[in-house]
Amino acid sequence: MNTADVLLRLSETDGPSGFEDRVAKEITKLLAPLTDEVARDVMGNVIGVRRCGRPNARRLLLDAHIDEIGFIVTGYDNGFVRFSVIGGVDARMLPARAIRFLTEPPVRGVIMTLPPHILEEADSDKPFAMDALFVDVGMTDEEVRAALPRGTAAVYDAGAVRLNENVICGKALDDRSCFAVILDALERLRGEDLPVDVYVMASTQEEVGVRGATAGAFAVDPDYAVILDVGHGKTPDASGTGLLEFGGGCGVAVGPNMNRKYTDRILRAAEEKGIPHQIEVIPTGSSGTNARAVQISREGVATALLSLPLKYMHSPSEMVHLADMDACARLLCEAVRAAGEVD
Amino acid sequence: MLDTLKALCALPGVSGMEDAVRAYIRRRAERCADSVKEDVMGNLIVTKRGTKRSGRKLMLAAHMDEVGLMITDITREGYLKFGCVGSIDRRILLGKSVKVGPNLRPGLIGLKAIHLVPKSERDTVPQVQDMYIDVGASSREEAEKLVRLGDTAVFDETAFTFGRMVKAKAIDDRLGCTVLLHLLESELPVDCTFVFTVQEEVGTRGALAAAFRVKPDVALIVEGTTAADLPSVKTNKRICAPGEGVVIPFMDRGTIYDRELYALLTELAERNGIPWQTKTYIAGGTDAAAVQRSVGGVQTAGIAAAVRNIHSPACVAAVDDLQQVYALAYLFLQEMGARYGSL
Repeated sequence: MNTADVLLRLSETDGPSGFEDRVAKEITKLLAPLTDEVARDVMGNVIGVRRCGRPNARRLLLDAHIDEIGFIVTGYDNGFVRFSVIGGVDARMLPARAIRFLTEPPVRGVIMTLPPHILEEADSDKPFAMDALFVDVGMTDEEVRAALPRGTAAVYDAGAVRLNENVICGKALDDRSCFAVILDALERLRGEDLPVDVYVMASTQEEVGVRGATAGAFAVDPDYAVILDVGHGKTPDASGTGLLEFGGGCGVAVGPNMNRKYTDRILRAAEEKGIPHQIEVIPTGSSGTNARAVQISREGVATALLSLPLKYMHSPSEMVHLADMDACARLLCEAVRAAGEVD
Repeated sequence: MLDTLKALCALPGVSGMEDAVRAYIRRRAERCADSVKEDVMGNLIVTKRGTKRSGRKLMLAAHMDEVGLMITDITREGYLKFGCVGSIDRRILLGKSVKVGPNLRPGLIGLKAIHLVPKSERDTVPQVQDMYIDVGASSREEAEKLVRLGDTAVFDETAFTFGRMVKAKAIDDRLGCTVLLHLLESELPVDCTFVFTVQEEVGTRGALAAAFRVKPDVALIVEGTTAADLPSVKTNKRICAPGEGVVIPFMDRGTIYDRELYALLTELAERNGIPWQTKTYIAGGTDAAAVQRSVGGVQTAGIAAAVRNIHSPACVAAVDDLQQVYALAYLFLQEMGARYGSL
């Protein structure tokens, strides 16, 4: 399977934070042939290891999170479902949107809106409040209570499509696209003699506060880490500083949350090998990614952050550029090769 | 009938660009009708003889067009600017998938990521002139190869059933078109003219011309009509509810329906055990407004199915209502035959 196909498959597999079982199963299948061992920990992280065969080898952790934003049933109102969000959902995007619940088989529903016919013109100036949103699942109150108990999770009823030869558009590309990049890099490194033991972590619960990686990094106890996460691509309504050029190559994050030496080494490799890249400056102590937790795990980890440009983050139609994914995979390979060199 | 509805809803047909819908209906109508004509506006006028000749000319009408978007400009970066065709609450546009132009190029109405939305903007809704469609093009030149100014865009066409409901775009009024098509494909009790109209959503413009040509004595308008039966809506403003039977309106914003026919329809429903309801709030309008006042005046009635989320990508109707609307329309034709028909 090529990277695009892997991503399409991962996108349509559902796994909101705390409910990652389905996607973890897919990930385990994909990771097994590329690693020596794969296991799942108590937080649900999938962790694989590819050993280099050297005694007392140093450990490099490659991490991308596999959870996605979503919804969760909190109650009922005359047959309609009341819900809350899992992670950062812009409620303005929800009216007249289909979602699917993580039931077997999946129950689908539609988030309700009001018809323009009964609205005043000024009503459109204010978004619907969360408590005015309901999901219609086409059931009676009694049926819905049985079919969708409180605590049932849901995601956008979407997968991903190829918008054109370069662009993939769909849900959960944050951060499955980065996991696809890791798989691609492992494929490229197949058979190569590596300086370190490579641990690959498909981490859970990032969207609700970097929870899976916090426990996972402690367990792996790495010397180095490369976190792969998506970064905001520029769009007409978002073009401020700190945003990435869509199609402009792999973002390399620079700032206090990233180890300066390791980052500089990666940047040097990008220059030397002519890998398309762009610097993403993150002046804050937390990058808002798993790097936040991994960098200060145990006694500290030399952590780098590669950012894949992505437009419309946390929408069901996130977009990534295949050329950017390719650049990220190439640069990740360089980061793995260089891992032993940095003290 | 459900399959016909889904097939019709999937077709693009923004007001003024109903070609695909018309072609589909034409193909099926030609197999069973006595005459099929397209007028200068694009209305499809179909006649079929029934068991009886009618002393009074009967016309059934449903509109083919749907609300949607029209491309007004392409930016330097390759994003599409648009305006709305028909009445759309702009809140339902944010982050929605669309299909652009006759080739249905996939695109997305972009909304920057929630992370990039300052607090002051959280409670606002961008103006339509500030919105844009992303088709994955990276420049104006690339976009111009895919899209022309004046192209229309429709909402994503995915349709599915859930519980007792069906979700699709354009149920208003492909539901009416579905009922008319299935009547056409039935043995009719009396001669009848079927009119599939254009441009209802921009002011019942097609029906005006069609009625003038047909010059009916009696007209029945078959619609998908606005339902707002949500827990957050006060009882009378709910208008009507899917699953609670055929909607027989006595009045909306455009028409005071013929009292005699209103009484007849309600009585036919009662007598034949067809569940029915009327609208509890005066909202919306239909082709009846144009037909009723055409030529020297036409005795005009309406029947409809209640549709939640009307004028959105996720219209929701009750599957049972489709059959009920068909049944009542058929009874109406029978009654017309009995009253005014001769062998």
